[in-house]
Amino acid sequence: MSFLPPTLLLLSCSVSANSRAIPRPPPPPSLGDPEGRGRAFPTCCAKRAKMAAAASARWLRIRCRLCLPLKSRRADPCEQAPSCRAFIFCRFYSESAALPNVEGADVTGIEEVIIPKRKTWDKVAVLQALASTVNRDTTAAPYAFQDDPYLIPASSLESRSFLLAKKSGENAAKFIINSHPKYFQKDIAEPHIPCLMPEYFEPQIEDISEAALKERIKLRKVKASVDMFDQLLQAGTTVSLETTNSLLDLLCYYGDQEPSADYHFQQREQSEESEEATEENNEKSRKKAGPQLGVTWRAKNNAERIFALMPEKNAHSYCTMIRGMVKHRAPVQALNLYTELLNNRLRADVYTFNAVIEAKALMVNEKFEEKWNNILELLKQMVAQKVKPNLQTFNTILKCLRRFYAFGRLPALQTLREMKAIGIEPSLATYHYIIQLFYQQESSAKGSPLIIYDIMNEVMGKKFSPKDPDDDAFFQSAMRVCSSLRDLELAYQVHGLLNTGDNWKFIGPDNRRNFYYSRFFSLLCLMEQIDVTLKWYKDLIPSVFFPHSQTLIDLLQALDVANRLELIPQIWKDSKEYGHTYRSDLKEEILMLMARDQHPPELQVAFADCAADIKSTYENQDARQTVPDWPANPLNYIAVLFLRAGRTQEAWKMLELFRKHNKIPRNELLNEFMDSAKASSSPDQAMEVVKLASAFSLPICESLTRRVMADFAVSQEQKEALGNLTALTSDSDSDSDSDISEGK
Amino acid sequence: MLRRMSAVLPLRPLSRLPLCSGGPEALAAAVVLLGASPGAVRFFSLMHLSRTQNNIQRYFGTNSVIYNKKDEQSVPTHEISKETESQDSVKENTKKDLLNIIKGMKVELSTVNVQTTKPPNRRQLRSLEATVGRLQRAPEDAPKKRSESLSPELVAAASAVADSLPFDKQTTKSELLRQLRQHEEDSRAQKEGERPKISFSNIISDMKVAKSATARVSTRPVHQIQFDEGSDDYGGQEKTADLRKSLRKNIFKGKRLNIFDLKAITEEAPEAETAPSLWDVEFAKQLAAVNEQPFQNGFEEMIQWTKEGKLWEFPINNEAGFDDDGSEFYEHVFLDKYLEDFPKQGPIRHFMELVTCGLSKNPYLSVKQKVEHIEWFKNYFNEKRDILKDSNIHFN
Repeated sequence: MSFLPPTLLLLSCSVSANSRAIPRPPPPPSLGDPEGRGRAFPTCCAKRAKMAAAASARWLRIRCRLCLPLKSRRADPCEQAPSCRAFIFCRFYSESAALPNVEGADVTGIEEVIIPKRKTWDKVAVLQALASTVNRDTTAAPYAFQDDPYLIPASSLESRSFLLAKKSGENAAKFIINSHPKYFQKDIAEPHIPCLMPEYFEPQIEDISEAALKERIKLRKVKASVDMFDQLLQAGTTVSLETTNSLLDLLCYYGDQEPSADYHFQQREQSEESEEATEENNEKSRKKAGPQLGVTWRAKNNAERIFALMPEKNAHSYCTMIRGMVKHRAPVQALNLYTELLNNRLRADVYTFNAVIEAKALMVNEKFEEKWNNILELLKQMVAQKVKPNLQTFNTILKCLRRFYAFGRLPALQTLREMKAIGIEPSLATYHYIIQLFYQQESSAKGSPLIIYDIMNEVMGKKFSPKDPDDDAFFQSAMRVCSSLRDLELAYQVHGLLNTGDNWKFIGPDNRRNFYYSRFFSLLCLMEQIDVTLKWYKDLIPSVFFPHSQTLIDLLQALDVANRLELIPQIWKDSKEYGHTYRSDLKEEILMLMARDQHPPELQVAFADCAADIKSTYENQDARQTVPDWPANPLNYIAVLFLRAGRTQEAWKMLELFRKHNKIPRNELLNEFMDSAKASSSPDQAMEVVKLASAFSLPICESLTRRVMADFAVSQEQKEALGNLTALTSDSDSDSDSDISEGK
Repeated sequence: MLRRMSAVLPLRPLSRLPLCSGGPEALAAAVVLLGASPGAVRFFSLMHLSRTQNNIQRYFGTNSVIYNKKDEQSVPTHEISKETESQDSVKENTKKDLLNIIKGMKVELSTVNVQTTKPPNRRQLRSLEATVGRLQRAPEDAPKKRSESLSPELVAAASAVADSLPFDKQTTKSELLRQLRQHEEDSRAQKEGERPKISFSNIISDMKVAKSATARVSTRPVHQIQFDEGSDDYGGQEKTADLRKSLRKNIFKGKRLNIFDLKAITEEAPEAETAPSLWDVEFAKQLAAVNEQPFQNGFEEMIQWTKEGKLWEFPINNEAGFDDDGSEFYEHVFLDKYLEDFPKQGPIRHFMELVTCGLSKNPYLSVKQKVEHIEWFKNYFNEKRDILKDSNIHFN
């Protein structure tokens, strides 16, 4: 009972009180009633009735005094009744005390109260408001990846497989449910949740009728629809024009092939090129994307057959045929059919014109100029037929002009101006095409570099909504241009646009986002002050993207330029986390930067730790690979780092590794070893260095020998040995070879 | 039954639970009610559940009787219903307002507001917001956009004015419109970030300005605030727009194809309404996939679930999943107003009160059906008037 708002109790009191006025009332609710009489009153009702309740407070007081004794007389089955009653008294008292003015003002007070308009909220308004309060957590992986800690991805590769695994799990479940709907009939949800129930993909109508054909078309059963159509024809039934047209739609859209199961995500992921695909490749994969990869239009296929069989054809029949032909790369047939359409004095719709424009551009063995004139001719026909162009018309033109290279530039600009002039707002895809046209890889230097600035000035601060399937390619290509122009200011502009409104949604799938941010971050590393770069580093990684090894190398170089090498161990830690443990180019870069110069001792200690860590990764790698391989440079660097940090023991062990893997140590390294030997005044170690040098027949051997003679107190034996070694190095190779084999 | 319910609950996403909050008693109560009503069980209003089960029904008092006995208490109900009706007449009111204003040469202070506060039309509001958004974001396009977005309203206002005047209507209208256009061009030329509202008041500044008595109804502060915000921002960004304009000349200014004609494009061609073909459906799907991004936070995921119907809709109340042509709960519950034609007292009154009480707790009938039910009794008693008279009961 305690959860009831006081007004409810008031009302329920009044209810019971009032019921006494009726001769044969239903028994008034007793307070301990387990049904929770108060709950039966909707809470919103309570709100509405609150005023009325307040107004009747005086009246209620009288009535309640009457009713409560009445209640107490009643047999009360529930034990908790007394406490409840006490509660009611108490609540009631406070309520009436809080409203003395209402009592005093009497009824006239009510009229001044204006009931506020009820606000109706969208069903997701509350959630949207809440969602807008949540910012990105820069220290964590994106929300989509949050899962069991063991499963949270830490590298771009892992994140990809994470998403794929999640999605394919969903798809598998859906597949099972949809293919065996009879096992998933139990509907426990109340109210019913439709999206959890199996969908029916099998046609339910068995007999041969137009309704059955319609159903098969709706379920997108290409073959079954064609069969049904043929059976209907054989039975002598005429199929209505409308149904035949929708059958043609189906056949043309899927190119007379059964559509593969409708699991977009997987399809898209597979067809996209992996990271940093070039624009052209991307373009190709996009064109083919969709269920029917590489489906081409076959002559005399079912669509053509049914089209020929049709007794009467309207514009829609022609249009859908043309669109299908263009979609499945049969431009010549499409153009022929278009002529036929014109001959039949029918009008094509704007989509068909768009398709025909594409067909004209697809024609082989024609010069660019010829193609362009054909396209212009088509546009004029559109005007003549009073067909209004849409955004897709112009986007198609620009898309085609991209393949015209330098020739396409002027027409593209004219097309863009035409768009603006007739009031069609360009979409992101429009700009994407123009950028591609003007900044093709080979001609970026001599291309007119101002275009991108114009475009950015135009789009700055605008919020976009999806209008073209290519809209999500804009940011990638814009950032590519920024990066090739090395214009940080422009990159900030592009990034600002990305963060305007909901524009960030146009960044596209995972690989595009990675491309965009890697380019952006590389540019930051190159141009920005190191502090700002590091701020971006903290902000973007890992909550927005996982860096490639090249990105990290860029960052290392930026650190080098800014002389902030002390951060390198931290970067190495991060790179391990982001899955670059076995990237030898990255490791080599890190080691090189650490080993290049002398540093203060404490930093050298940190570097040595880092070097030891990297060394262990090489060793682990050895275990993984059948042919263990230590590149020479890392060996040198690690040895130097150990020496400088005073970890002499480990350094000498490194020297062993040189021998073991038959790598040649550098002169500087040998000198440093000599220094170290001198510091510890150990002639044995010095001898060891000389031995190694002579074993590889290094020219430095002689100078080292001289140093040993001069700096160390060498015994007679050692002197002799030294003499032998120098003789050996100047001698033949065979001896040195044997020496190495001895060493081994 | 309890088992079944607890079987349901864990399967639901968490946010469905609040309905059953209220501790163990509430759960127990819910269970009893669930057991009481066979067949489909709805959660939306537990009070409504007791339709068929009299033994439960009797535990609920005849709450509606209060409103019958106390006349002033039923006032709010009537007020509400009246108010909804009055909304419909706001449109007429605004027109009348305008006529009154013009006749007395009294012009309401902000004409724009009168126009924008026509009956609460959601679509229009949204378009206004969209316009405002564009004004903020794309200042260089603002003048054109503004004339586009405002002019239909202006034209409407002008034609209303013209209609009310005894002179030649076409002339008046075109004169008014010309003045408006003139002013718009002026303000554009000056580039001082003049607000559209100010320009309006300038136009009518020659006339006598006074607050109309009826204006209180039609001006709602919310709308005004929205509009003001938009125009404020607009003024601030004018300067940068200038800069941009000069920069972008080179790409967007120049020779164009000159194939299409702006007039031909913008004129409305009546298009035959056809069902979307497969091509359209698939294109829409493609577009939807363009800005599909993984969820940024848990709330977005919940939004998705809400859209899919897996979650209770916010705000959570007792009416979830209950849709009766948008009729409100009070229309379901307070049915006393339909008893006006019945006797004020006596057994028929008593009987009918019981009927309305029962109906008010019935969740399965729509408001219309409930009213029909009462109507049926009215007709029934009308038919039996003779018998009633014999037993000395009056029915009028």
